[in-house]
Amino acid sequence: MKNKTQQERLFNFGISFLALGAFPLVWFLSQAILFRELTEIISRNMLVVIGLLVGSSFVFLLFSGMERLIRLAPMEKRDSLEARMFAGPSIFMIGLFLLYPAIRTIYFSFKDRFGQSFNGIENYSWAFSDAEMLVTIRNQIVWLVFVVFFTLFIGLIVGWLSDRLNKGEAFFKSIVFMPMAISAVGATAIFKFIYEYRPPPLTQIGIINGIRVSAGENCSNNRLIDGTLFDYADDSCNRAIGWLQQRDLSGLKIGESLEAGGWFSNLLVNFPLNTVLLLIIMIWAYTGFAAVVFSAGIKAIPSDIMEAGQIDGASEFKIFVSIVIPYIKSTIIVVGTYMVVTVLKAFDIIYVSTRGDLETNLLAVKMLDEFSKYRNIGRSSTVAVLIFICVIPIIVGNAFREKENSRI
Amino acid sequence: MKKSIFGLLVILSMIAVACGGSSLEGEEVFITGALVGNDAAGFQENFDSFTEETGIIVSFQGSDNFEQEIQIQMESGDTPDIALFPQPGGVVDAAQRGYLVALEDLGVDLDDYKANFSEYIVGLGTVDGVAYGGAHAFNLKSIVWYQPAEFEARGYSVPETWDEMIALADQIVSEGMNPFCFGMYSNGASGWLATDWMEDIMLRTGEGTVTYDKWVSHEIPFNDPVVKNAATLLSQIMHTDGYVVGGTDAIVSTYFGNAQDPMFEKDANGNPGCFMHRQASFITSFWPEAAQAGAGTETTVFPFPAMDDGLPKAALGGGDMFAVFTEGDEAVNAVVEYMLSDNFFAAAAQRPDNSRIYGHVQFDSSLYSKDITRVLADAITGALAENAFRFDASDLMPPEVGAGSFWKEMMNLAVEGPGYVDTALDNIEKSWP
Repeated sequence: MKNKTQQERLFNFGISFLALGAFPLVWFLSQAILFRELTEIISRNMLVVIGLLVGSSFVFLLFSGMERLIRLAPMEKRDSLEARMFAGPSIFMIGLFLLYPAIRTIYFSFKDRFGQSFNGIENYSWAFSDAEMLVTIRNQIVWLVFVVFFTLFIGLIVGWLSDRLNKGEAFFKSIVFMPMAISAVGATAIFKFIYEYRPPPLTQIGIINGIRVSAGENCSNNRLIDGTLFDYADDSCNRAIGWLQQRDLSGLKIGESLEAGGWFSNLLVNFPLNTVLLLIIMIWAYTGFAAVVFSAGIKAIPSDIMEAGQIDGASEFKIFVSIVIPYIKSTIIVVGTYMVVTVLKAFDIIYVSTRGDLETNLLAVKMLDEFSKYRNIGRSSTVAVLIFICVIPIIVGNAFREKENSRI
Repeated sequence: MKKSIFGLLVILSMIAVACGGSSLEGEEVFITGALVGNDAAGFQENFDSFTEETGIIVSFQGSDNFEQEIQIQMESGDTPDIALFPQPGGVVDAAQRGYLVALEDLGVDLDDYKANFSEYIVGLGTVDGVAYGGAHAFNLKSIVWYQPAEFEARGYSVPETWDEMIALADQIVSEGMNPFCFGMYSNGASGWLATDWMEDIMLRTGEGTVTYDKWVSHEIPFNDPVVKNAATLLSQIMHTDGYVVGGTDAIVSTYFGNAQDPMFEKDANGNPGCFMHRQASFITSFWPEAAQAGAGTETTVFPFPAMDDGLPKAALGGGDMFAVFTEGDEAVNAVVEYMLSDNFFAAAAQRPDNSRIYGHVQFDSSLYSKDITRVLADAITGALAENAFRFDASDLMPPEVGAGSFWKEMMNLAVEGPGYVDTALDNIEKSWP
């Protein structure tokens, strides 16, 4: 009896090995080798046609082949095998396109600039000692704190207030949500016009500088009135400021009176103005998203709880803090998690605006800089690994929370 | 039956050979590079007559992200036949990593090549004595843009020496105007304009090209007195009150492409915002459209003034360089030979939108469509003949310096003022790998 089960087990193992391991692997490799050889022989156009024909039947034949093999297994085993059959290819693909590059990146982060010989943890000690790298890490932290806090905060307020509107809620929300429809590159282009700077005698075309230089008596943004030109060349007029080039507040009037002293004034003296101006773009782009999600969460709160609160004489603020926030806590955490990951990946805003100049860099752009500008594969990989490490606790935390939730 | 098909094939192939006249008929050669738009179209046009003659089909694919893409292609082994690198540094880097084919193995006569493009240019694409890079188009940086009409109206004469330029600048300031336009903000490359100024001064002080070459190869430290002198002179331009329109704020904040705009803008008294702008030949394409038409006439150039006596007329420039990845392909060899010949650039030069300058000394400069291009081309070939043409130093230094600390410290120097010169140079010296 025992013998038979062992034999059965062996048989089952053989089938699952064949169906889920050997067959897909052989099938995949044969296709890969076939196409590698074909590219050498036939022309590009022919290759496209063949690729379309063979490629589309590839998946079909893969699954029908696996199915055939699974049918050899005893009835009661088939279900679990079939489930694995469908999960298998995607796990394999994730392994090939995500896991393998990730492992290779970690491996390269211990190598030199050409990725040839090992140099221990040198890249990592560089990452935490190089002045430019430290500024990049500081910026990433500033972005994380400001962007995540303000998108959640403004999003909550907008979500809550729009829910209180008697009419026009949909219109209001779609206005706030609108920036989400613009790509980050487009949003950055818009804000670049807001922050735009031209050298002084020229008309300021940026909104902020245009308003600045027009303020005050006899100051105008190069306007012709009755044939005389009113400009801002006068010393009494405000200067135009290159906003994205201001690393601190020293270019502003409030900056002039600042002196390093206590921790707060130290903080102000080193206030990274251009970084903050850039992260505003992201806040603007994502607040609508947060607001809409929160609004949906708030709508799901049963009205009797709210009414109970109102009957008990709680103020609007009290209801917001004691009922709304605890009720949509999980939504807040989900949006917050999403924002943290998005900020860690933030790339396009910096890439399009300053490209990391004047201490505005972020890790994702720095990774590319190290790869293509400084041609240092080791350091580039190291920066990639740092981003990866930053994301891990969030993913793990999320997974734990999910487990807790399902236990309840 | 079989026989007749075979016979037909033989006849067909004979006809093909007879018509083509060359065994390379129909061969394809693939080139990638950073050229886009008009420049890419001009580059492609250069091969029209070649394709007609040889039957080799050359296709060029330009990309804004060429420098990233070629790195990835080299890593994955999916390289084009030929790549046109925007800087010689890319060629040297690829050669050191063993991806490139030496020019000698492609059948290039190195002595001819050196005679046609100068030994210095060939040396830029050389690693351990083996030449890999093929010279292509150049631009000239040692020039100062000005408007002759504005100079004449005020009785200014074109300065021929640095001291004359400073005297002229002082005069302009004393008359209540600003002599220089200077803007060096550039996304991801801010500061490069100041490095260009430094290089021009370096070429004209000390021992000229000799100290320049030592500086590039780090035989003299970055805080050497010669370099310090150059930085001090640059700081004089940047920080003397009234010299630069808009002051240091404008230097740091103005996008380099907008920097010259004040020159085209007249104030209430009819004075332009600035009178002189030191910038490379390609700046014309950044000008306002109205000003572009006057390039070479209304707005033209004088050479960067001479400084120390007894040095040859130096020219600073930049340029691209191609390198070959495919070995042992006759078609590729033929393309390389053609790309290094004196009539290669003819088609592109005649395009009305062309502002690129071919580096071949025997190239007929009368072919250039614009007058200004011809003037600049003659300056380059003249300097090449005197061995006084030098490449942008920051492009030749290790990227940590040339694309990193050098740019960054020049920005800091502009912000911090003349007292920062020593700190800036010390910091760059420290960052040299």
